[in-house]
Parts: sequence; C-alpha cells; structure tokens
Amino acid sequence: MLENYFPVLVFVVVGMAFGCMPILLGWLVSPHRPDSEKLSPFECGFEPFEDARTKFDVRYYLIAILFILFDLEIAFLFPWATIFKEITATPEVKLFGFAEMLVFIGVLVIGYVYAWVKGALDWE
Amino acid sequence: MLKNFVMPDLYPAAPELFLVAMACAILLADAFAGASRRWLAPVLTMLTLIGCALITYATFDGTATLTFANMFVDDPLSDFLKLLLYVAIIVVLVYGRDYLAARNLDKGEYYLLLLFATLGMMVMISAYNFLTMYLGLELLSLSLYAMVAIDRDSPRATEAAMKYFVLGALASGLLLYGMSMIYGATGTLELGRVAQTIHEGTTNRTILVFGLVFLVAGVAFKLGVVPFHMWIPDVYHGAPTAVTLLISSAPKLAAFAMALRLLVSGLFGLAEHWQSMLMLMAVLSIGIGNLAAIAQTNIKRMLGYSAISHMGFMLLALMSGVAGAEVDPMALINAYSSALYYIISYVLMSLGAFGMVLLLSRGGYEADNLEDFKGLNKRSPWFALMMAILMFSMAGIPFFVGFFAKFSVLLAAVAAGHVAVVVLAVIFSLIGAYYYLRVVKLMYFDDPVDAASIRAGLDMRLLISLNGLAVALFGLFPDSLMMLCTATLVRSL
Amino acid sequence: MDLKTIIFYVFAALLIFAALRVITARNPVHAALYLVLAFFNAGGLWLTLQAEFLAITLVMVYVGAVMVLFLFVIMMLDIDIKRLRQGFWRNMPLAATLGVLMVAEMALVLSTDYFGPVAFPGTKMGADYSNTRELGRLLFTDYVYPFELASIILLVAIIAAVVLTLRRRKDVKHLDPVQQVAVKHSDRLRVLQMPAEKEGE
Repeated sequence: MLENYFPVLVFVVVGMAFGCMPILLGWLVSPHRPDSEKLSPFECGFEPFEDARTKFDVRYYLIAILFILFDLEIAFLFPWATIFKEITATPEVKLFGFAEMLVFIGVLVIGYVYAWVKGALDWE
Repeated sequence: MLKNFVMPDLYPAAPELFLVAMACAILLADAFAGASRRWLAPVLTMLTLIGCALITYATFDGTATLTFANMFVDDPLSDFLKLLLYVAIIVVLVYGRDYLAARNLDKGEYYLLLLFATLGMMVMISAYNFLTMYLGLELLSLSLYAMVAIDRDSPRATEAAMKYFVLGALASGLLLYGMSMIYGATGTLELGRVAQTIHEGTTNRTILVFGLVFLVAGVAFKLGVVPFHMWIPDVYHGAPTAVTLLISSAPKLAAFAMALRLLVSGLFGLAEHWQSMLMLMAVLSIGIGNLAAIAQTNIKRMLGYSAISHMGFMLLALMSGVAGAEVDPMALINAYSSALYYIISYVLMSLGAFGMVLLLSRGGYEADNLEDFKGLNKRSPWFALMMAILMFSMAGIPFFVGFFAKFSVLLAAVAAGHVAVVVLAVIFSLIGAYYYLRVVKLMYFDDPVDAASIRAGLDMRLLISLNGLAVALFGLFPDSLMMLCTATLVRSL
Repeated sequence: MDLKTIIFYVFAALLIFAALRVITARNPVHAALYLVLAFFNAGGLWLTLQAEFLAITLVMVYVGAVMVLFLFVIMMLDIDIKRLRQGFWRNMPLAATLGVLMVAEMALVLSTDYFGPVAFPGTKMGADYSNTRELGRLLFTDYVYPFELASIILLVAIIAAVVLTLRRRKDVKHLDPVQQVAVKHSDRLRVLQMPAEKEGE
C-alpha cells in the first residue's frame, strides 16, 4: 500500500526544497545591515497608530465553529462513499446502508436550519 | 457484498429513538415558533419525557437484550435507572421553571440541551462498550457545559463553565487513555469480552492495571470524589440554581451506571486493584467533603461539598462487593444494591434541597446563602418542615431515607471486613451532621432576614411537598425500595 | 535500515522538534504554525503505519479547519505576551516534576515489550488495500450506533455555539435587500388630493 504514496513523498521533498531554498539562499547571499528604520513595520509612510491586534467580533467565531462542525462531516462521508456500492449490493441491508447516512445528515441539516432561522449565519 | 451483517434490532433502543425524534421536532418547532410561543418547548419536553417513560415501561421484559453489535444493553437495571432518570428530569423541569423565567433563561435551547443531556445519560446507562460509554458521557458533558454558561451575562457562571469544561475535558482524556490501554491489553472494547479476556488470564496485567488507574480517575471525576472534586464547589455555586439542581441529581444516576458497568461488568477481574483505589477515594471524600462543608456560608457550595461526601459513601458500597479471594454472590448483590439504594436516596434528597433553594429565590434575587433560610419557620412552617426533613435525612438521622441508605452501606462494608473504614465514615458523618442541623437551627430559632411570603406555582408546591414526604416515607418503609434494587441487580448482573 | 525506517525517523524527529517549539516559541502565532507542522508530521507517521484515512483526516480537519480557526483567534485577540509568561518560573518545578513522572510512566509501560515490535509486527498490505474502505465497513455496520451518536453530539455543539455566542446587535444599520426589492411605489410616494389655493389669500 505504502508504495502508492511514493509520489507524494517525492512531492513533499521537492516542495520543502522549493520553499526552503530561496530563504536559505537569500540568507546566505544577501548583505545584512539592519537598522531600526528598516526593521520597523511599514505602514504607507505613517508611524503605526496602534497595535495590529484588536478585539474581534465574537460573531466571527460562531461562523468559524459552525464551519468546523460541518467540515467534520467529510470524515464520515468519505468512508461511506468508498463502501456505498458494497453495502447496497447486500440485499438485507441495502436500504439500511442508505438510511444511516440519511439520518446522520438529517440531524445535521436540522442543526443547520436551526442556525439559519436563529440568524447565526447573518452578518448584520 | 458484506458478510455476516444483519440489521440491528432497534426495539430495545426505542426510548432513545423517540427522544431523538422529539428533540429534533422541538428544535425546529422552537426555532420557527418565535417569542410568542415560548410555552411550546417546555410543554413538548415534558410530553417527551412522559412518552419515554411509557415506552421504557412498556418494553420492559426483565431480561438483558444486547443490540447494535453488543454496544447497547437493555436490562432491568437500565430500565429502572432510566425511569428514575425521567422522574428526576421532570422534577428539574418543574422546580426550575419560575427561576428560569424570572431570569429570562427559559429559552428553547435550555430545554433542548436538557433533553440531549438526558439522552447522553440514557446512552451511558445502556452502554455495553467503552466507546458508547464515552460518547454518552461526552453528550452529557457537552450539554452540561453549555447549560452552566447559559446565563451569559453572569461572570461567575461563565467562570464555572470554563472550569467545568477544562477539567471535564482533562477527565475525558484520562478516561479515553485508560480505555485505550485496556483495549491494547484485551483487544476488545466490549465490556463482556473484556471481562472474559481478563478472566482467562492471558493478558498483561501491568498494562491492565495501568489502564485501570486512568479509567478510575475518569469515573471519579464524573462522580466528583476526592481528589477529583475540585470542580464541584465552583460549578455548584456558579451555575444558575436550576442547572445546579440538574447537575446534582440525574447525572449521579448515570455516573453510578458508568461505575457499575465499567468496574463490575467489565473489569471485575481487577477488583482487588480498584477496590483499594475506591477505598482511598471514599475515605478522603467523606472526610474532606464533610469538613469543608462546615466552613461554607453559601448553601449551594455547602450542598456541593455534601455531594462529595455522599458520593464517597456510594463508593464505599461499591468497593464492598468482594471480600478477600472468594466471590460470595449474596454479599456482592447486597453491596451493589446498597450502592444503588444510596444513589437513589441521594438524588431524592438533592432534588428536594436544591428545590427549596429555588423555592426561596424570586425575581432577580438568589436565596443561596445560609442567611436566607433564617426564620423560615415563621414565613412558612410547612416548607420549613420539608427542609428540616431533607436536612435530617442528609445527615443520616433515623428514621429518614438517608439513614437507611447509610446504614445499609455501612453494613455491607462491615460484612466485607472494612471495620476501620466504617468507623472513620461514621465519625466524619457525625461531624457532617453539624452543618445540616445548623440549617435546621437557622430555620427554627433565628429571626427572618426578610419577611416576604413564599410565592410559587401550585405544581411546584405540590411536588416539593411530595419530595419531602417521600424522603420521610421511604425512611419509614425502606424495605420495598431496597427489594426493588436487589431484584433489579439480581436480574441484571 | 530501509527507506521506511529512515522516513519514520525523519518524521519523528521533525515532530518532536515542532512539538518542543510549540511550547517554547515566544510568539503564539509561531507556536500555532509549529503545531501545524507537528500535525503534518503526525499524519506522516500514521501514513507509514498504513492508517491513511486517519492521516488524511488529521490534515484535513485539524490543519485545514481547527488550526486555521486557532490562528485567526490568536492573531485577532489582544494577547499580552509578557503577562502570559508571568509565573512561568514559579510553576516550572511542579510542571517539570509532573512531566518527568509522565515520561517515566510511559517508559515503564513501553519497555514491558507488550507494545513492542514483537507483539505488533505490523501487517504488510497489498497495493490495492484501502484503509478507508476497511474503516467504512466497520463504521457503517457494527459501529452504526456510535456513528449516529456522533451526529447528535455535533448537533449539540451547534446549539451550544449558537446559544452561547449569538447576540443581536441593536446599533447596526443595515439594508435588507428583500425589503428593498419588494418595495412598491405606493410605499414611497403618496399622491395627495388637496384643494387648490388661490394666490394672495
């Protein structure tokens, strides 16, 4: 099985090299003469007004958490897809194999409808 | 083609399926109903619980049935505990209604989380597999974390929820780690097969004991016994009282089921190891719980520490099942049924005590200090009597239900030969009687701080009276409940 | 040493390095990025154990969703790094003792040979073996009950997230496109019949 992943390994190695080499080369070849002006953040010529980090609207987290919850479904949908043919080819559990995912998705759709109706997806 | 797979039998899980279907319906109904039909969610929740009770009662058949590839067990013990669970949740609903409405917390989500917490407890009660046990526990815990924090504008509730969540996640981690160790040693997650593998003695005992330590730590956290009790006072104090009422009652039933199934059904072969752990935790809990409760001025905190000591007593019964090397079935059943009896009587008393705190609070005012009970006799002699009964029973004074619960536990412990532990437990519960009796003294011999009359709906007055009278009546006639507990366990173990 | 062993050591070394940097990095953003690196390497390790589905899920769910949320949260919060680091040295002895204890316990367990390569030699699967399909076979037959419970836990998480964070803001001025489109001229313009007035009166 693992030999199937050999191209992936080569890809990872090449990708790493491609990412690291320019940084390494730049660090080796270029001159280093830093001063405080060069190192200060550049903000269109202004002095920075304030810290870049500000309190963020809590609604962003709500959207992000909902995204993660629905994103997780993929972990269940994907194995189901790989055995779907197999389970529907078994006469006794043909409908069962379909219905179990229907129930799973149905429960989450109810959650989705709830979040929608409550206005959790609105960005006022 | 899949081989060897037949569709699981859904019949034993009928109450759970009904609850899920109803919860989804309530979720949609509440989302679309709008603010004008707020009564919809509590009424439907109540109907759901009654429906679950009817289904559980109707499908009761006195035998153990396994389904879902042996992950779900439907035996007399699970049916009995589930029926008690529905009663406890219905009581929580009635007691909490006015309190929640006064604080604008009676949103549909509260009832939904309550239903999902109930489902989690049902899953735990019926679990016959490490995985379903864990999932039920997570379902319960997640719902409880959110319920503790449901009063978003209260910093104390938010802090309590945060502590509960962080420590709860840690405990879940410990539990999972222990489960994975035992899985590594036995190669199965099913409780019956774990027990069988340990019995055959072909596995590595070091790994098993190592896993057991983490498992017991996780269970101890959920029960809230020393040294895993840190969350109890803060969460009991910080949560809205209606939620404290829930946390202090129904989950104890589920945690009892979890302890019994994991330790007795699954890891009975390691009894010599977990008994000594339980003994240590029991003694520490009874000691620290009772001593710390004396220093409290807030009644929710005080009852929290008292819960720790009561859970210690329950552990005392659980560890008394096996004495020495040979297993005596009679002593075994005696010890476990005294544990079951203890947990039922504790839930009954805890519901009543927090119900009284809810009864005295009104509007935006919390009656959670001991001061608020001063002179209750002058304000309402009847409810003062009810509270006195509850406190006497918690203190273990004859002849209330709490006395017989303690008595049967101590008998079982003596039968198992733990005389020194019993002496310690008696001494500490005598010390503990002080803080229960202090409440009685405040009610009868002090002058009221405020003279406002007690206002509550008829159903709540009726139910709280019934609750107090039940504590007194079960104390006068303890045999019937004890026999029920014994019969249930005989048929289930 | 064959190629697989070399790959294992590379992933393991990178994983330990990244995990150490998660704890020691002064900048929380760097710590989060190192955690991403740690997850990638853990995924790589799982892949060498032929648990390809777990590896892919780890990368997809943790790196793709959870860590992105983490990173945003860290970048958007006012984190006073100096204040966070207060008490580090005061708590250090206790933390170090606990850490050493845990390492010792783990070493004790792992050195019993029970989980060693002798007990678990690992199975060599053919090129057409799919870990995902094997998991699916179990998950959708024997484990259907935990599977459906998982959806309910996700539903509870949705409810909890909405009830704990959703706030209606009163001070926001916004346009509702539905109302804008549905508007009729009679809503905006009213033609009044008024009696004519004479000039100068």
